[in-house]
Amino acid sequence: MSLPDKKGNFKSQDAPRYDDVLQCMRCGFCLPTCPTYALTGRERSSPRGRVALARAVAEEKLEFTPAIKEEAFFCLDCRACTTACPSGVRAGEVMEICRSQAQAFYPLSKSGQAFRAFILEKMLPSPEMLEASMLPTRLYQRLGIQWLVRHLKVLKVGPGWMEKAEGMLPRLESPLRPQLPEVVPAKGEQRGRVGFFLGCVMTLMYPGVSRQTVRVLSHQGFEVVTPKQAKCCGAPHLSEGDRQTARQLALFNLDLFLSLEVDYIVTDCAGCGAALKEYEELLEGQAEHEKLTRFRSKIRDISEFLSEAGVRTEGLKPVEASVTYHEPCHLCHAQGISTQPRDLIRQIPGVELRDMKESSWCCGSAATWGLKFSDDSRQVLDRKLKNVKDTDAELLVTANPGCHLQLAWGLREAGMKQEVLHVMELFGKAIPE
Amino acid sequence: MISQTAIGHLREKLGARNVLHEKEDLLVLGYDSTPGVHHLPEVVVYPTTTEQVMEAMGIARREGLPIVPRGSGTGLSGGSVPVKGGMVLCLTRMNRILEIDEENLTATAEAGVITLDLFTATAEKGLFYPPDPGSQKVSTLGGNVAENAGGLRGLKYGVTRDYVMGLKGVLPDLSVISTGGKSVKDVAGYGFKDLLVGSEGTLGIVTEITVKLVPPPKDKRTILAYFSDIRTAGEAVSRIIAAKIIPSTMEIMDRATINCVEDYVRIGLPREMAALLLIEVDGHPAPVAEEAAGVQKILEEVKAAEIHVARNAQHAASLAAARRTALSALARVSPTTLLEDATVPRSRLAETFAEIERLTEKYKLKVGTFGHAGDGNLHPTVLCDERDRDEMERAHAFYNELYEQVLAWGGTVSGEHGIGLAKKEYLARQIGEGGVKVMKRIKQSFDPEGILNPGKIFDDRDPCTKSHVEEGFRVSP
Ligand SMILES: Cc1cc2nc3c(=O)[nH]c(=O)nc-3n(C[C@H](O)[C@H](O)[C@H](O)COP(=O)(O)OP(=O)(O)OC[C@H]3O[C@@H](n4cnc5c(N)ncnc54)[C@H](O)[C@@H]3O)c2cc1C
Ligand code: SF4
Ligand code: SF4
Repeated sequence: MSLPDKKGNFKSQDAPRYDDVLQCMRCGFCLPTCPTYALTGRERSSPRGRVALARAVAEEKLEFTPAIKEEAFFCLDCRACTTACPSGVRAGEVMEICRSQAQAFYPLSKSGQAFRAFILEKMLPSPEMLEASMLPTRLYQRLGIQWLVRHLKVLKVGPGWMEKAEGMLPRLESPLRPQLPEVVPAKGEQRGRVGFFLGCVMTLMYPGVSRQTVRVLSHQGFEVVTPKQAKCCGAPHLSEGDRQTARQLALFNLDLFLSLEVDYIVTDCAGCGAALKEYEELLEGQAEHEKLTRFRSKIRDISEFLSEAGVRTEGLKPVEASVTYHEPCHLCHAQGISTQPRDLIRQIPGVELRDMKESSWCCGSAATWGLKFSDDSRQVLDRKLKNVKDTDAELLVTANPGCHLQLAWGLREAGMKQEVLHVMELFGKAIPE
Repeated sequence: MISQTAIGHLREKLGARNVLHEKEDLLVLGYDSTPGVHHLPEVVVYPTTTEQVMEAMGIARREGLPIVPRGSGTGLSGGSVPVKGGMVLCLTRMNRILEIDEENLTATAEAGVITLDLFTATAEKGLFYPPDPGSQKVSTLGGNVAENAGGLRGLKYGVTRDYVMGLKGVLPDLSVISTGGKSVKDVAGYGFKDLLVGSEGTLGIVTEITVKLVPPPKDKRTILAYFSDIRTAGEAVSRIIAAKIIPSTMEIMDRATINCVEDYVRIGLPREMAALLLIEVDGHPAPVAEEAAGVQKILEEVKAAEIHVARNAQHAASLAAARRTALSALARVSPTTLLEDATVPRSRLAETFAEIERLTEKYKLKVGTFGHAGDGNLHPTVLCDERDRDEMERAHAFYNELYEQVLAWGGTVSGEHGIGLAKKEYLARQIGEGGVKVMKRIKQSFDPEGILNPGKIFDDRDPCTKSHVEEGFRVSP
């Protein structure tokens, strides 16, 4: 057999499960759904190829080479391949796990490590620090420097990602977390009590969205409990391959939310929802099984929740607008929620929903992917924008802050007029003050 | 090993982006969908024009590298696996549809065009390209031509060969050939084009394909029947054919397949049924109605457990899509899925199912069967674990005995997936040593040096040697 004689294998901590990679029968059904394969046409940047690489490492036919690290991070983790795969292979997840292998095989320099640790282990887990870190950004916007910088194109000289990151920032309001009452009572006849998981990006960048989510929940008859101590869901850590910190955060949130005695735990961030739903696997063997299944059974994305509960439509006021819906990967592929947000949109009086082509194709944001691979990201985004344009809808609705940032930025750059809204913002418009 | 100079030349001619030789790229281009076969090439090239194909082949020849053409690697007989290393020549970047000629009812496309894309593009013009392998979303036209792929509509509409009118390609001696074309009738010389169709990439590399299009059927009806006994389903198929009704599709899935597909698609297939037949009749409205009634009558006579008519076109399409996932969905059950391509005269279907059942028990295996029942083309699939040697041996014996019987009934060892690596040893059994000898002489005249896809269909030396398969386990008998 003519395979390379070099041996390899995964480090034992957080290794992909061999059975999971063996499950791939190489049918290729995943190929047409993979955005990175569409970009490069290169087998190793396809789900089938990535699984084959992981398999080769597991079988000691290949070392964990830099190219594997590269693929682990080039994968958008959009999970489109998971939806497409009849055999139940989860190539995106295998790559997510490979990211933590990459950290083990290729440790960063001392200073790099310190910076990474600061961000992942100190800053993200602390809501207070996160909020503080946004202050300078807000000042900067308020003082009009942002305007200057954008217009003078000063940042053109800097690395591309900085310019993009800067350009993506929405006009920031103050974070929602400290403002939101811990308990918001239900309006009308009470239908239940829900815990609200307020995500980091939501509170910092889109406080207006989550404000609407809480308003909608209350209007729909639910008492809303938002624990202020809640920590980051751990998604950024998983995405950067820091499964250790992710687990610590998960354990904290698990206990916190189970102690609230709520019927459900709801979030309006698709990324958080996906991460919370995957605590079960992440914490396997690290928390009581009973707790994990109980927690899992309570997690709902807001659209999923409202569609299960049934929407009270009486008294809603019409919102006259044509709308198209972009499906966040972490909603449709990671959580399998695709029809519910559309059903919700359709129930808003006056709204005309126009489905776009490839609505579940990634927008190219994918946590920090859009910054790391800004040119590729642009190409993925352009495909999305074209599909948006073809619908000629006035509003672009989505349900994840990462997509929100990326789409809003893309539309602005392309000079398109559509406004981006979260499903809850659209729904909020229909609720009388 | 390929020389650095040769890599340099390839890059010069094809562009750096189209020449890959890092080990990770080689590793992921050494397999297709056939379990257990994996060999590394030395270099992978993605030509974008016929001229580049020729250039790449020229360089390979000078370097003494075998050349293995490849489409999307969905093949199920190991055809695009580079058993002798060399150059994998991947055609997926030649993916332009060049022309849809509405006057002549033809389409011309590059070899790397995805089958479904051609179907969709022609459908947009109100035309119909019937060949539709289960892998149509992924497979390439070139791969379809090379394997003479069949599909779900094969029963009434035939296979890829029936639609190929002309081919352009490069032969191992680097001559660019064009054979056939848009003329409906063409008897000039040997049936050269037909020889290339189904040649599994051993005679030449196809770069452009002209296919015949037909008017789409005006009406269509989809019937779904469930059976509590798979042999009854086989009998239903034989009786429908005997009643001189030719549906466009007559697909079967057994219980194991129904369950795996349902796990994936969740459209409410009844898990407890022993078999399902998906039957489609199409054509002009009047005969469609008549044929559908005829089919329903026969299904009632054989006492199908349930008979349903698809609610609408969308429902019918979702059923067909579900059927297409059968093989990959079966892969859920076990780490390894070994699939075969046994094809029998249709009157033997019920007996074939009985034989599969008997052998499944005899060898204590898990087997899922699905396939193009109307064509007599079944895919009994052993669900096993390649790490379990004993099980692999039993799987081998299972297929061995099954093929013995299939051949005795006048069947074939491959209905549509080709011989490739997986079925070399059976080919001689079916067509005889004499047959193999003639085939080898044909190969010899196209490719005297044996540089094009060596080791496929038959070994260059001995027609009956074992397949080249991964250490310790054999793909298929
Ligand atoms: C889930 C699934 C379902 C399937 N269903 C069917 C089905 O219903 N019917 C059916 O017939 N097959 C089916 N197949 C098998 C497979 O899809 C077909 O054989 C298909 O035609 C292969 O196309 P490809 O582009 O993937 O070719 P590859 O697998 O890459 O190559 C197949 C063969 O063609 C040669 N080749 C490829 N391109 C060229 C070219 N341009 N010139 C010369 N030689 C070339 C290769 O060397 C190889 O021998 C299925 C496969 C899967 C995984
Ligand atoms: S990951 Fe799934 S869809 Fe992709 S090749 Fe493997 S089995 Fe097929
Ligand atoms: S997760 Fe997305 S980018 Fe990654 S392999 Fe799957 S489809 Fe491709």
